[in-house]
Amino acid sequence: MSYVQIEHLSKSFHGQHVLQQLDLAIEKGELVTLLGPSGCGKSTLLRILSGLTASDTGMIYIDGKNVTDVSPKNRQIGMVFQSYALFPNLTVSQNIAFGLEMNKISKTEIQLRVQEMIELVGLVGKEQAYPRELSGGQQQRVALARSLVTRPKVLLLDEPLSALDAQIRKNLQKQLRMIQRELNMTTVLVTHDQEEAMAVSDRIYIMNGGRIVQHGSPQEIYTQPRSEFVARFIGNYNVLTAEQLKRITPNLSLPAVERFAIRPETFREQPLAGEDICLTGNIAQVTMLGNITRYELNIGDIPVLVDTLHLSFEQEQIGTTKTLYVSPKDVIPLYDTIA
Amino acid sequence: MKRISLPSLSFALVMLYLFLPVAATILYSLATEWNSTVLPEGLTGKWFAELYADPRFLQAFGRSFLLSFLTTVVAVVIIVPAVFSIIVYAPRMERLVQILVMLTYAVPGVIMAVGLIRTYSGNGIPMVIITAGAYLVGLLPYLYQGTRNSLLAMQARSLMEAAELLGASHWQAFVRIIVPNIMSGIFVSSLLSFSILFGEFVLINILVGGRYETLQMYLYAKLSSSGHVASAITVTYFVLMAIITGLVVKFSRRSFTRKEVP
Amino acid sequence: MKRFVSMLWVTTIPFFAMIALFLLVPLLSMIGGSFQAEGGGGFTFSHYREIFSNPYYLQAFENSVLISFLSALIGIVVAVFAAYAITRFPHSLQQRILVITNLTSNFAGIPLAFAFIVLLGNSGLFVLLAKQLGIDFGQSFTLYSWSGLTLVYIYFQLPLAIMLLYPLYHAIQKQWMEAAELLGASPWKFWLRIGFPVLLPGIVGTFSILFANAMGAYASAYALTGSNYNLVPIRIGALVSGDIFARPELGSALAVLLGLTLTAALLVNEWLTRKIRRDLS
Repeated sequence: MSYVQIEHLSKSFHGQHVLQQLDLAIEKGELVTLLGPSGCGKSTLLRILSGLTASDTGMIYIDGKNVTDVSPKNRQIGMVFQSYALFPNLTVSQNIAFGLEMNKISKTEIQLRVQEMIELVGLVGKEQAYPRELSGGQQQRVALARSLVTRPKVLLLDEPLSALDAQIRKNLQKQLRMIQRELNMTTVLVTHDQEEAMAVSDRIYIMNGGRIVQHGSPQEIYTQPRSEFVARFIGNYNVLTAEQLKRITPNLSLPAVERFAIRPETFREQPLAGEDICLTGNIAQVTMLGNITRYELNIGDIPVLVDTLHLSFEQEQIGTTKTLYVSPKDVIPLYDTIA
Repeated sequence: MKRISLPSLSFALVMLYLFLPVAATILYSLATEWNSTVLPEGLTGKWFAELYADPRFLQAFGRSFLLSFLTTVVAVVIIVPAVFSIIVYAPRMERLVQILVMLTYAVPGVIMAVGLIRTYSGNGIPMVIITAGAYLVGLLPYLYQGTRNSLLAMQARSLMEAAELLGASHWQAFVRIIVPNIMSGIFVSSLLSFSILFGEFVLINILVGGRYETLQMYLYAKLSSSGHVASAITVTYFVLMAIITGLVVKFSRRSFTRKEVP
Repeated sequence: MKRFVSMLWVTTIPFFAMIALFLLVPLLSMIGGSFQAEGGGGFTFSHYREIFSNPYYLQAFENSVLISFLSALIGIVVAVFAAYAITRFPHSLQQRILVITNLTSNFAGIPLAFAFIVLLGNSGLFVLLAKQLGIDFGQSFTLYSWSGLTLVYIYFQLPLAIMLLYPLYHAIQKQWMEAAELLGASPWKFWLRIGFPVLLPGIVGTFSILFANAMGAYASAYALTGSNYNLVPIRIGALVSGDIFARPELGSALAVLLGLTLTAALLVNEWLTRKIRRDLS
């Protein structure tokens, strides 16, 4: 049995199925991400795991114990909320100490552990500050320290970085991952940002419409999407029907599925091997994205997105023809048709 | 068994406490005889009939209505444009208005009455006019808050700038853009103002006394003579307040939903 | 160069004229009058000296402060719980309850006093009921006593307290409760450590408004027994409007002292709020 195990979990609100027969397993020390668009049920799943929301059916095991009916405060779970939920009338160290005081830890130990946490998250010098005197990133780190100081079995993070600027978010992602590794903390992160999920996770569960549609390592998810939904959600995949693909490359032998996905960055301007598929189309739109130039190409009546590294100084003009090559192994068959 | 929580218990007691006097008054206004029994001996509408046939009541009601209505209109005409131009053109002056609002809290009617009598009594100006003037000041907190909320909700400053860039004068922009937008908010504040003035007793009683009998003063006079008629007056007053409250709810909800659906 | 905005002048001149005529000038005249000898004489402290040496007026202040403090205290304690109970109802019901609460706040002054006469007056509903049950509290309680008046004051404090406290509960985020629960706090502990301290400045502020509200209240007490209650507003009213015993200068001095009390209450509130919530300043 895994460290955290969720079996056949279902939940409805007002007759609406939010989670449907969900199964999920997390190993000790792993950072697992629940990734999906808003309304896919990922936050509800997190709240059920924390015990703040009750499930309709299903079982939850943590560290071998059935906790399905255990109250939130006895589950030994730490949680960082999207709004951080810092107590405004308590200072940084009082916020962090709160959970320890509730669990009747001795004063000297509280002091020790709070100081340790403050050092770990890098808030030395801010001990006596109130939440509203801190920046968003600092507040986020207080919330993290507050949930870690009680040494929970599982740490839950509900979109913890979504309220922050891009630059701070990137730094905090790194710091979060570092702390998680250092403490070997079993962690579940909820996010709708696929880049964030890729950057920090050991494994990713992709959710849509209350179900898990695919799970695996970031590498697997990115290179082997199993459905159109995942392909579109994870990257800017081109999704083509079998019929469209046949028209472009009549000679290619394809598995018998309805749709195929091609990543925009797998197109090359020069062929690498003999079997590369050759495509020619008209440039309908050129967008400069900094280090990448994005072309919208019309191959016949089929629109295709192509990302190339922005190497040359001159852009190709709209209306000109462009020839590109793609390897057959980058044409990914999408086996799952649902969702 | 579920324990009754402290909040639920307090809530129930508060509601009972607030409701009982109202219910008792309504019952009393409909009771035939009610001197020695716990419940009235019979029900009748004769107290209301008697009340509504009394010209003194009708006059008092009319005076209250007229005084409250005219004062509210004048207060809106003076205060709303002033608050508007202070917020839009002289935001630093707003602090001064806030201090004045605080001052009106620290100076209740009975204190105002002393100052007004000293300043204005005996020099020929009818004291009703002076009372109305004091009412204008008394309405300042409500109209200031109402106007301010409406203006902030519609982002008056940028709308004025946009209108002026399109060639409108200050007055044109104010009348064509601001007024229609704050209308419902101001209407709600005006209804509240009206109901506050309609219930006012201290100033009018001390400054004017029996020379201008309002509904509240008529009620005071009836307290000692006929309890049943007095309760009929109270019920009438309460029904009028209920109607005004209903209008306030209706109109504030309307302006609320309009904000929600852009 | 600053643009000259004619609109600003046209609109604010009547406004400030109104403030001057009906607020500032009367106030200054009243303050001046309080230092004037009776019948238009010269400068004197005698009215203040009289108030501070006359047990009757000192008693009026003591009574006013006592009934205001007591009614504000009872009002706020009950309203803190009641307002919380309201926040737990479904949203549409909450709005309806608030409308009704607000409606009863119109029940003040003369109509309120009368309603209490119907309930608790000499032949009031509850008095009759008690008689039938064989209880005679005619000796220990009448509406026209201090305890009776306190009941009336509490009545007009309650709706105001609830209307002022109810919005404060929206500052308590649901996620704070959830975070506290996950950290092992019972609901009781949460309210003690987080909820109540967050509400406290608002509660103190509301208390001082209730106190000021009661200190200045005139109509209810006047309606119950005319000038018999020895309260500051009643004394002021009698001193300035009595035809035979009118002593407007002494009334002015009383009014100035009442105004100072109210100002002090509002200032103490502001000072306390800052002191309680170091995290706010």
